[in-house]
Amino acid sequence: MAERVTFWYGCNVLRHGDIIHSCLDILRMLGIDARPAGGPDYCCGTSKDENLTAADGMARRTVGKFNALGRERVVAWCPSCHSHMTEFMGQAYKPDFELNYFVDVLHEHRSALSGFLRKPVPMRVLLHKHMGFNDRVAVNDKVTALLRLIPGVEVVDDDYAAPGYMCALLNTVPKAMEEMNRETLRRVALHRADAVVTTFHQCYREICGLEAHANTRAYNYVHLLAQSIGLDYVDEYKAWKKAGPDAAQLIGEQRLAQVGVEFFERAMLPELVKRPLGIDRPKSDGKS
Amino acid sequence: MPTGAMKAFIRKETERILAACTRCGKCYEACPMTRYSPALEGAEPQTVVADVLALLREERSSPQAVGWASVCVRSGSCVPACPENVDPKMMVRIARMMASGGLGGEKRIPARHDRDYYDRIRAFGKLQLTEEERKEWM
Repeated sequence: MAERVTFWYGCNVLRHGDIIHSCLDILRMLGIDARPAGGPDYCCGTSKDENLTAADGMARRTVGKFNALGRERVVAWCPSCHSHMTEFMGQAYKPDFELNYFVDVLHEHRSALSGFLRKPVPMRVLLHKHMGFNDRVAVNDKVTALLRLIPGVEVVDDDYAAPGYMCALLNTVPKAMEEMNRETLRRVALHRADAVVTTFHQCYREICGLEAHANTRAYNYVHLLAQSIGLDYVDEYKAWKKAGPDAAQLIGEQRLAQVGVEFFERAMLPELVKRPLGIDRPKSDGKS
Repeated sequence: MPTGAMKAFIRKETERILAACTRCGKCYEACPMTRYSPALEGAEPQTVVADVLALLREERSSPQAVGWASVCVRSGSCVPACPENVDPKMMVRIARMMASGGLGGEKRIPARHDRDYYDRIRAFGKLQLTEEERKEWM
């Protein structure tokens, strides 16, 4: 009988339906009955430091919803959700489930996973690493090991790990974000890597700006697993980032109407046109 | 499950940290982010830690304590550096919550007011998932 788990994908990864769908396919290929749950109604509340009354209520609600689903394991995709559940939510409200991280599950099943990785992905990659979260889950080592299961993928040996546990909080310290972007590009050039690969969706959101603005290919590790398996979900988010101000044309009128043109332009477009901090602009064409 | 348990846990953790920390400053020395805060230029590690503890006790919030809490991005380098297993990452996180006004009191770290945060997530969800998936998964 297949193990029944809740796949807690989180909130902000909803920008990347291709990642969510690929993760679900992979879990199911590994014989795991994965029930997806995420979005604001399952938010961990980690971003609510300034309003702990709200964070408390969100923690209680989300733990209660997972308990009600009655599955023994919750497999988290997002490191913020995983950390907040481990450090706060699960300490305050009694979870009736075991919490695991997605990378750990893949690493546990790496032998079976390797049987599905049939298509070569010829690529020399630099793994984008952070210092944090590795005390909870050894993602830097385990994602490297997972990437090395893919025929054709070569992961370069590199010891740079950016501060923080993912890029989200670096946005609050712009100088640190600038340095991270510059150092990443320097190391890509140093190793003659074909691409940068991220572990987390939030880093991917930032790093795929390097593909749009610094001619450096970017992927999430799940993209490369999916390519090798033969899953063909389209990475629309990257296409939108690369299109920048023309992203609306790719999205199309019908889908744009679903979210509202005014809302798209005010609340979504700015991140799609955002230039990564610390990346030099192209040489001036004489205009100021 | 009665509501308010997370705030109660944070208060309990605060008491534990206040009792365990010896103000040796090793956590501060291990932090890769201190150089990004002008308030921390030339700061003595023991002084900054003492100020963070004073913030946790709600006695005072010095520019140095707020400066450290502001630039903490949870690298976790402080955790193995602590000889007393205090969990300085938790210490600075709670300090940040307090300096953000999360438990009441003065807001010394400005909140990032993003009125579109959750609506933006839902909107991307509309572009990326089918109506049926949203209904069943979200």
